[in-house]
Amino acid sequence: MTDVAIEMDTVWKKFQRGERHDSLRDLVPAVARRILHGAPPAGVLGEADFWALRDVSFQVERGDALGIIGHNGAGKSTLLKILTKLLRPTMGTYQTNGRVGALIEVTAGFHPDLTGRENIFLNGAIIGMRRTDIERRFDAIVDFSGIGEFIDTPVKRYSSGMNARLGFSIAAHLEPEILIIDEVLSVGDYTFQGKCIRWMQDLLKNGTTVIFVSHNMDAVLSLCNSAILLDHGRVAAKGELTKVVGEYYKSGGRWQPELLAQARARTVEFSCAQGRDLLVDPGERVTFEHTITATADSELTPGFFVSRADKPVVDTTYARMRGHPLRLRAGESATIRWSLAFNLPAGVYEIGFHIGDFAGGYHEHQARACIVTVGDDPRVRGDSYVALDLQEGSGADARVLSRAPSGQGVLP
Amino acid sequence: MIADIRTATIEVWEHRELLEQLARRDIKLRYKQAAMGFAWAIFMPCLIVLSGLIIRFAMAQISGQSLAKVDIANIAVKGVGWAFFVGALGFATSSLVGNSALVTKIYFPREVLPLSSVGAQSFDTSIGLLTLLVILPFLGVRLHASLVWVPLLLLLLVLFTTGVSLFLSCANLFFRDVKYIVQIVLMFGIFFTPIFYEPSMLGARGSQLAVLNPLTGILEGLRLSVVEGRDLLHPISVVIKGVERQVWNPWELAYSATIAIAGMLGSTVMFRRLQHLFAEYV
Repeated sequence: MTDVAIEMDTVWKKFQRGERHDSLRDLVPAVARRILHGAPPAGVLGEADFWALRDVSFQVERGDALGIIGHNGAGKSTLLKILTKLLRPTMGTYQTNGRVGALIEVTAGFHPDLTGRENIFLNGAIIGMRRTDIERRFDAIVDFSGIGEFIDTPVKRYSSGMNARLGFSIAAHLEPEILIIDEVLSVGDYTFQGKCIRWMQDLLKNGTTVIFVSHNMDAVLSLCNSAILLDHGRVAAKGELTKVVGEYYKSGGRWQPELLAQARARTVEFSCAQGRDLLVDPGERVTFEHTITATADSELTPGFFVSRADKPVVDTTYARMRGHPLRLRAGESATIRWSLAFNLPAGVYEIGFHIGDFAGGYHEHQARACIVTVGDDPRVRGDSYVALDLQEGSGADARVLSRAPSGQGVLP
Repeated sequence: MIADIRTATIEVWEHRELLEQLARRDIKLRYKQAAMGFAWAIFMPCLIVLSGLIIRFAMAQISGQSLAKVDIANIAVKGVGWAFFVGALGFATSSLVGNSALVTKIYFPREVLPLSSVGAQSFDTSIGLLTLLVILPFLGVRLHASLVWVPLLLLLLVLFTTGVSLFLSCANLFFRDVKYIVQIVLMFGIFFTPIFYEPSMLGARGSQLAVLNPLTGILEGLRLSVVEGRDLLHPISVVIKGVERQVWNPWELAYSATIAIAGMLGSTVMFRRLQHLFAEYV
């Protein structure tokens, strides 16, 4: 075995903005055009294309822990999807040596109607565990998750925290050689988070290679031994941990994106149901409503973030939680409801929002729309979860209320 | 191309436990909280046989004959086969899109999704086949040596269905209207496949055209070997109204087998080559 666990060599990834022809009716003209004009070469951007990753190269040695940091839309998720074989780079090559395990959306394989027990076997198989391995580790998985007697209850009756804990526990017992982690520290409560951190430190001690994507610099600093900073798909800094994290803060503290000259969407109202500046108990759930109007047809990724003393605490977008952008036609509007349990230490938190689009452009950015002060209460409980709910809105995908694990908790 | 088939086979084999888990999931979900329970498995074949009986009854009335028990057996045998094909395609076509949470988030060979749909449908069809086993003796069907053909015919049916399933699940991922086209085609497909009738009833030219449907060879083969006890290695002719008509030619089976195998290989290659785009397009 070589000493290099992961090697990325000048990886570029192109995405297409806007709608693709996705009915057969549209295929014929598209094919005809392709035949007439020929397919565009990989390295050239078409008018609707943009680079999600540009010229990304790095190496991770066996047993190292690399942190990948950057603002929303910097390309972190795309990079992870390439590492987990979900996407193929447009140009460039990469190599992973060893069994890859991913802690990304750990509950993706769950079926709500199946019990916890059934889901352990299903989800274990999905992430590549053998049945005998699952059977052998079954008790350990249940034990780690703390689900206990609810193991024979359908997971649709679980709280989102229980769901995520079970998902994490299954993934944690895969025993991969290379572990890829995205935003999982928001899983469950503090006790569980602490357990996860200890578990990851144990893995590192045992020589597992770790790739850790996070907005939480404290966690990155405590877990990783090097980092790369992504900015608009490029590697903006890489190498020594403190230097890269410093760069992130330099750009991130009062980070203000350049707004598009021609905004295609604007905020009608951003409000907090419980009041503008409020005091809450730790764990209390606060709901924010964001009403957006599009002035032109657009694919938007409204974002929601919470920061404390200029440090991001929670940072997520509609597209990340839903897996697709919010599509609005000109004149249409939608109300997004962000609901967050403030399971955070006492302090003053600033709530901000932005309206971005799929190509990484920003139509609006407001870092301090509300202030929430979390009171001093030693009993910190519940889940630090962001729930997302899109209301009315004539957009095509304004249907279900969904709760998706995302958002980022602060470490104890 | 051979490399595509090889890696597909290896990867699916390595993930056979996942395949099993997903098929189990589909079966469990089908019977959990379902009012009809296991009756569901034979619901569609029963409906097919009933509709076939009505049509045959009407035909018998016009020609002044009566409906024979063997006709019921004929329709039942082919009906179960058709129900398998329709059921599997119905589930497989939307298997990739329906599992988009998995397709966009976790890597595993995507073939297992349509394959598990076919697997889950095989379970239902096994119940249908067991039911047939009980019913057929009452319809006057005896045990024949020609039953040795059944495993081969069922294998071809599964192969053909799997090939079409792989193709359609992939097509539906890129073009969402495929699902609706499939629904319509399957709804009327029963009239283009000899389920309610035998190809020979369509006349000389008609039966030649009917044989073009790859399912004809398989389903007619099942009928002739199970119900009529004929050996499929030799051409079979019957005399209808004083005219001798060929009702079976071994080449029909060879044709169906070729299409089934070629379809399976072709769609495997296509699926393999496109699957790196799935996460982006789903």
